[in-house]
Amino acid sequence: MKRRYIIIINILMVGLILFIIAKYANDRAIESNRASIASFEKMTITTEQIIDNYLEDEQHLCDIWSNYINRSAEAGSPMTIDEAISYIRKAKISPEISGHLIYIDDGSMAGISTSAHMTDPTDYSVDYSHISLFENFEIHDLDGKVNLTRAYTDPLNGVQSIAFLNNVKVLDSETNEMREGLLIRVVPVSRLEQKLVFLKGEYENVEISLIDWDGDYMIHGKSLKNRNFFEYFKSYNPMTTKEYNEVVETIRTQIGSMHIRNSKSEDSVIAYTPLSGMNSWYLIAYIPASELTDSKSVDWVLLGIASVGLMLLLHFNLFVLRGLNRKLADAAEAANQANEAKSHFLSTMSHDIRTPMNAIIGMDEMILRSSQDEEILTYAENIKTAGNTLLGIIKDILDFSKIEAGKMELVPVDYNFVSLLNDLVNMVQCKAEEKGLTFELEVDKNIPRIMNGDEIRIKQVITNILSNAVKYTKQGGITFSISSEKIEEHPEEVVLHVSIKDTGIGIKKEDLDKLFVAFERIEEKKNRNVEGTGLGMAIAQSFLNMMGSKMQVESEYGVGSEFSFDLNQRVVNWEPMGEFDTAFKRFRSERKQYRVKFTAPKARILVVDDTEINLKVFTSLLSKTKMQIETADSGDACIHLFKKNHYDLIFLDHMMPNKDGIETMKEMKTLQDTPNTDTPVICLTANAISGMREMYIEAGFHDYLTKPIDTSRLENMILRYLPSNLIERRILVVHEDVAFLKKIKEWLPDCYNVIVVKSEEQAVTFLQKQEVDLILMDDGIQLQKEWEEAKVIRKHFSEISQDEILTLVRDFFNEDS
Amino acid sequence: MSKSVKRMISMTLVAMLLLGATGCGESQTESEEFSPKIDADTEYKISVVGTYSNFESLESEFERFYAKYPNGEITYTYLDDYGNTIGQALAGQEPPDIYVVQPWMYGNDQYADLFDSAEVLSDPDLEIDLDCIRSGVRWEMENGEILTLPIFATSYGMLVNKDIFEKENLEVPETYEELVDVCEKLKAAGYESPVMGANTSTTPGIGYTFAYPMFAHTVKEDRSVEEGLNNLDPSAGEAMRESLTRLQEFVDAGCIDVAKCSAEMEDDYDAVIMRFFEGDVPMMLCSGDVVSGTKKRESKSEAFEENPFAYDFYVAPSGDEGGYYMDSISLLFCVNKNSENLDMTNEFMRFLASEEELGLMAQEKRLITPTKDYSLDEVYASLSDFPEERTINFRDTELLDTTVKQFRAAAYAVVNGEMTVDEAVASYGTIPTD
Repeated sequence: MKRRYIIIINILMVGLILFIIAKYANDRAIESNRASIASFEKMTITTEQIIDNYLEDEQHLCDIWSNYINRSAEAGSPMTIDEAISYIRKAKISPEISGHLIYIDDGSMAGISTSAHMTDPTDYSVDYSHISLFENFEIHDLDGKVNLTRAYTDPLNGVQSIAFLNNVKVLDSETNEMREGLLIRVVPVSRLEQKLVFLKGEYENVEISLIDWDGDYMIHGKSLKNRNFFEYFKSYNPMTTKEYNEVVETIRTQIGSMHIRNSKSEDSVIAYTPLSGMNSWYLIAYIPASELTDSKSVDWVLLGIASVGLMLLLHFNLFVLRGLNRKLADAAEAANQANEAKSHFLSTMSHDIRTPMNAIIGMDEMILRSSQDEEILTYAENIKTAGNTLLGIIKDILDFSKIEAGKMELVPVDYNFVSLLNDLVNMVQCKAEEKGLTFELEVDKNIPRIMNGDEIRIKQVITNILSNAVKYTKQGGITFSISSEKIEEHPEEVVLHVSIKDTGIGIKKEDLDKLFVAFERIEEKKNRNVEGTGLGMAIAQSFLNMMGSKMQVESEYGVGSEFSFDLNQRVVNWEPMGEFDTAFKRFRSERKQYRVKFTAPKARILVVDDTEINLKVFTSLLSKTKMQIETADSGDACIHLFKKNHYDLIFLDHMMPNKDGIETMKEMKTLQDTPNTDTPVICLTANAISGMREMYIEAGFHDYLTKPIDTSRLENMILRYLPSNLIERRILVVHEDVAFLKKIKEWLPDCYNVIVVKSEEQAVTFLQKQEVDLILMDDGIQLQKEWEEAKVIRKHFSEISQDEILTLVRDFFNEDS
Repeated sequence: MSKSVKRMISMTLVAMLLLGATGCGESQTESEEFSPKIDADTEYKISVVGTYSNFESLESEFERFYAKYPNGEITYTYLDDYGNTIGQALAGQEPPDIYVVQPWMYGNDQYADLFDSAEVLSDPDLEIDLDCIRSGVRWEMENGEILTLPIFATSYGMLVNKDIFEKENLEVPETYEELVDVCEKLKAAGYESPVMGANTSTTPGIGYTFAYPMFAHTVKEDRSVEEGLNNLDPSAGEAMRESLTRLQEFVDAGCIDVAKCSAEMEDDYDAVIMRFFEGDVPMMLCSGDVVSGTKKRESKSEAFEENPFAYDFYVAPSGDEGGYYMDSISLLFCVNKNSENLDMTNEFMRFLASEEELGLMAQEKRLITPTKDYSLDEVYASLSDFPEERTINFRDTELLDTTVKQFRAAAYAVVNGEMTVDEAVASYGTIPTD
């Protein structure tokens, strides 16, 4: 993963952690705030009870005064107003509290007080006529409840006070009549406020207010402005009239709390409750929300510390990560170096083994071609088999290297199943027979003839299994079964059932797991003398996996094994392949001899290789083609000839001292005005590891051919790149009339290599050594064998003119006259 | 880690630190004009008593003062029956630290204690900036001492609906002639009564607001008539002739439909404001106190809410050269020199005595600032730089309350056709008052 992604993920995780911390802290704070507000409401209710009790007590004291005065009247000894005040003066304990008694029956609202005017110590008169204080009372018939006035200014001392009321009856000393009076117990508001001092301990900034029905304050704290709470609330909390009315109604009727904005637009909380002992008085406890909900906001200090901590952790992690990355990079570098060393080793090994093998196999091929001595031919065949085995081992190692690197790819092609089987059986049957083993072939004749798949890899898988079966079977035999079956789900495909059964040493159950492990060889000590790398089955299994199949193994130790797999193949031609045995037996009966595929006497070929023997092998293998082959033993020699002569095709070795093939190729590319501007250059190399083909094509080569040279592949490649006009058309003419044969040789132009024979037998003998492009066979000859129809034209040539024969030949080769 | 990522993380951390640091700091901005003299941590309690049942503009000043001295509490208390209770309060157990006085209280024995108890605010040690007060409303005692700080001034004149004048493409009249001309044009435009006002004999009434400033100017110009007027000497009634005549002319010219005013305005305060907010009265005669009630009532008038308009206060253009500006004191504060919190109380007064603070209070209350700077409230902007020769302040005349009441009654009688000007002048001293 890229470093920036790690950093981003780390930062996101840090962010997530911080978010969770903040969310958690916030949730806790909200919970805590709810509890704080509930506690605040509880305090408000407690305060209300205290105030309520206090006010009831004060009213009770007022009632005691009035009761005493009224009982005197009821007892027939009514007090005068002076006597009543005198009584009250004696009865009251606190100097702050005063008693006023005023006449209300004449509306004068005037009377006397227990205290004198502050400005005139002799004046005890009191007059409430200018103070609107009793509008809300039925002052003539007070009902005995708590009759509490609003806060007002005591007319005698100018102190803000509250008053408790009750009716009294007193005797007018002047008229000697009973008068209706109002007894007023006047208590400074500050006295009530003192009762609330206790709250300061619990809430530093709490402010208690008492409001009446209209919202006018009896007492209020400094934060609540205006003389009316509701007006204050409306001023700083904009809302619709309906909402406002709901708030007022709530405060008047319920116990609870709400958030409001104060005059500074700060969030505040008020708790409200009616004073239960009185009509229309309400307690409002105000507190800044910050005091109640101090922790509501996120604890930034905590968050900051956590942030810094996490950032430090992030840095630390990145620091450690960087160290680990460095170690990993070093390890990766070491692994890369080791891998490069391995690749280099494989490349070198492959190259170094293939180079001498080229000479061995090449020269052996020449022996096989030229020798008629059966014993020598047998020796040469053995050399060829051993050489191919060695090449097989190298190929396995290279294949495994490719699979391991993930560079192995399947190359599906259309293939002839008979041909595939031919190759397999041809390769294994001899080996089996050499070991004295039977080789039974059970081939379903209904297998479609042409299918599509990676022929080479399928062949490799089966070869590996068959080779193992031969290797590990000492007596008995091998049965190779293959059949096909249509697939309903995929009508274009068949499934091939392949099974190879042997009577070999078998595999222990505990060893079955090791079977497909690379470089693992079962019972290594016991099988030490059996050749192999331990890669074959691993490679086979890998190929099958790539093809969507899997190898199954059933084995009994000491009795034998059966390897099988099912393989889906797309059918190209549903024509059944027919009886394989017949065809194969005929194939086997005919010794396969080398036949040159073409001749091109006018073609000029340059082959470059620093190993002289390889040059010899190359020229020898192509000697039958009659091409003009020149050799060069170095890059410089190649350049020299390249500048000087025209060549139709150049084969250039890669690994050469001083100037290797790629350097030579590059230099050739830079050269202008040479006779070889368009000459194809093929890399001829013993370097056969994966990725080489791409490298050579990129370097400018047209193609790539590995050593040891396979003559067939070499000739095919030359045919592909050589201009067609340089390839001789070889026409075999079979006619009993020698004169006609002479005539036809003269009639056909030089561009055709005309070979004439008199009989079918001579033709067959010739064709065993050479390939021809066209066979003109006279109808008069009785045929003993089947001929390849595509190449044969049968006519009564004696009756055909020269022009007709020329037209016939040119049409065959699709040539213009 | 790449440099850019490092830089990004570092910048984030620094930003967080800076934000944190900013959060720790105080965001309030200190006033440049006022610097506290006393330790800002001083704990204090100041009480203010007065005649306003509600004094929000003063409470706003409390808040502003708390910004300088946070550890205290200032309370404002409305005293019931202020005239009778303030004296008791000053002598009582809980004497106020600051109390309201009004010019008419001076010289009255009942209120002598209010002035006797007053701190000398002009004492240089107090460093109270009384120079910010307009000389016309700065009240110096005979000995030159200043005992009171004027908080609000008031005047008499008219509210002008600026939108109507703009709509009718008219200028606000400055002279009587212009007034008559404008009224004719407004009437022609469909305004039945271009000028309206409360038809009462009170100070916000038609007669007083239109004619009294002219009368006061007459007395100011010839103080010899003052004694006769105060003694209710009938011959002194001649001093009223000019102003009453102009009042009669004003009514006769059809500038005002008195009957309409009576019918549509039941009182001289709420009704005047709400009628003005109907939006079809070009000019509404009123006092400054009425103007002070407009701000709160804007939201109570559905008509004004639906069709708000611009309005300003102007002096009524009663004179040929222009109107007369009565620069009157509305409210004054005294400091109780016996206050237990005298130092902090004086500090509060020092804080209040500035063009800014008094201007803000006047703006909030929508009364006229006592300072020289009228700029804070556009409603009163017309009073700025008003000609001195047509300005009458409270020291320019010493007319007694009885004299004023006689003029108000005379003016009411003339406006309502109950008396001719001659009859009113002749009846001076015996004109019935409520």
